[in-house]
Amino acid sequence: MSSVLTRSTRGTGRAVPEGPPAPGTKLGRPGSRREAILRWTLMLVAVSVVLGPLLWQLSTALKGAGESTSGFLGSLVPSDPTLQNFVTAFTEIPLARYLLNSAAIAAIGVTVNLVIATLTGYALARIPFRGRAVYMAVLLATATLPFEVILVSTLLVTRNLGLQDTLLGVVLPQGVAITSLFVMRQAFRGIPNELEEAATVDGAGPFRMFLRVMLPNVKGSLAVVTVLGFLDSWDQFIWPLVILSDPDKYPVSVGVQYLSGAFSADQRVISAAALVVILPPLLVYMFTQRHVFKGLAGGALKG
Amino acid sequence: MPLVFVGPVLILQGTFLFTPLVNTFVLAFTDASTVGGGSFIGLDNFTALANDGDFWAAVGRTFAYLAVTVPVIVVLSTSLAILVNTSLRGSSVVRVLLFSPMVMPLATIAVMFQFVLDSDGLINEVLTGLQLIAEPVPFLSSSDLALFSLMLVTIWKGCALSTLITLAALQNVSEELDEAASLDGAGWLRRTWSVTLPQIRGTTILVGVLVSIAVLRVFAEPYIITGGGPGTSTETIVLYLFQKGVSPGTQAGYASAISLVLFVFVLAAAAVSWSLTRRSRT
Repeated sequence: MSSVLTRSTRGTGRAVPEGPPAPGTKLGRPGSRREAILRWTLMLVAVSVVLGPLLWQLSTALKGAGESTSGFLGSLVPSDPTLQNFVTAFTEIPLARYLLNSAAIAAIGVTVNLVIATLTGYALARIPFRGRAVYMAVLLATATLPFEVILVSTLLVTRNLGLQDTLLGVVLPQGVAITSLFVMRQAFRGIPNELEEAATVDGAGPFRMFLRVMLPNVKGSLAVVTVLGFLDSWDQFIWPLVILSDPDKYPVSVGVQYLSGAFSADQRVISAAALVVILPPLLVYMFTQRHVFKGLAGGALKG
Repeated sequence: MPLVFVGPVLILQGTFLFTPLVNTFVLAFTDASTVGGGSFIGLDNFTALANDGDFWAAVGRTFAYLAVTVPVIVVLSTSLAILVNTSLRGSSVVRVLLFSPMVMPLATIAVMFQFVLDSDGLINEVLTGLQLIAEPVPFLSSSDLALFSLMLVTIWKGCALSTLITLAALQNVSEELDEAASLDGAGWLRRTWSVTLPQIRGTTILVGVLVSIAVLRVFAEPYIITGGGPGTSTETIVLYLFQKGVSPGTQAGYASAISLVLFVFVLAAAAVSWSLTRRSRT
């Protein structure tokens, strides 16, 4: 599949063969000037609906204490822009702590998910073990199980294990993303059998085979699983909210909404904090979208 | 040897997936509280649930949410995908920007929209600025409007991923059919409707199902933006579940019964999709 985000392969430009235009295709005939203008207008509308709230948020975050946070037309540009709200977000509210918590949760979570998905994906793809078909069926069946269905029971299990109010308690119950298992299984299945046979002839044992022959061939998928794992981890909300009662342990998503509920919260500071929270996943997305998200869409299509 | 590879996943899933899943089924038939205890009470939780007006009101709201957001997201994301499926200069930047909400944490988006939807927030300022309204619209403080206001947030965020998936499908459709229809004199609208869209029907259904399941689980938007209010006008199934079974001492058994009903709804959504997919293939 071609890259969705960076390059369009169909649609306009080449759709109509050379020769006289077919009757009745004036409006929106591919490549026509009229169509280009219409498309650009609509795309600008769509982009402003997406960017509008973010820019307004940025405007609010840059406004000084004296300036009103309301007002859009005419007052989107702060009269006296200041970074003070960002400073306040780090000094007077525990944003730095939340960021550290989120980073720790993401680091553990991504590692657990990566290790489990790689090992399991490999077994599912290339080691015929007893019960493999049954396990695959179970995985497919539980893929549609929403976490909220087992929320209460998971809370009881995690509490009984003494993991309440710990970062491990946040990570482990959502440590295995079933999509990651399927991504890695698919990746290992794509490695040609000849490679495996050649390595066996060279005397590679099962672990050497896995580490030296197989893993280097699925680097792309490992990157995909890492990125998706990070985004999932940063986005988590209901589970950390439930399992953590100590605000000092909150990740950013829970922390920022906790602060925004506080009666003393200053909208300018909360806006600044929210933008800081959105930034890491946004940067990861901007830098990896070319490689990661075409795979994501392709995977969704294969079902 | 296989145990080295599947052992870790079995331990983790055994502890945090299979055990809680089985336990949910067991707890639903007990009067356990979240601090433990509980004895078998048969179907009492389910009969109580059947008569629980607050629960069914939450179910009704969640389905209203579904009835609005799913068609809107499907239509909007399909239109957007068709719109950006072009090689016009700069359109790749548009695509990257358009899809970016999918990576923004929902909880933070919700915090942001709390301000956007406020009486002196962005939307009211724009509407006033364009002189479309004289008084600010009480998006969040009116019990008639609040649920619809939350839907805006879900749609804003949900369109990104749906558009990405639909666009991927669009790029796989046959160009030849489009050319043939064009030679036959079919206009753009006609070709899109009768040639292109039927080819991506499977994906459209998939998007509908993914959005339906996501919306059945809707929680962060009402929890953060309205807290379920005004009154209980934005209380959804998962928010109700959260109130009934998460705080210490609340009813784990009853909440488990709610969980199972939620599960049935999700399975029903999945079943509808399977039958639709099958029909579209034959």
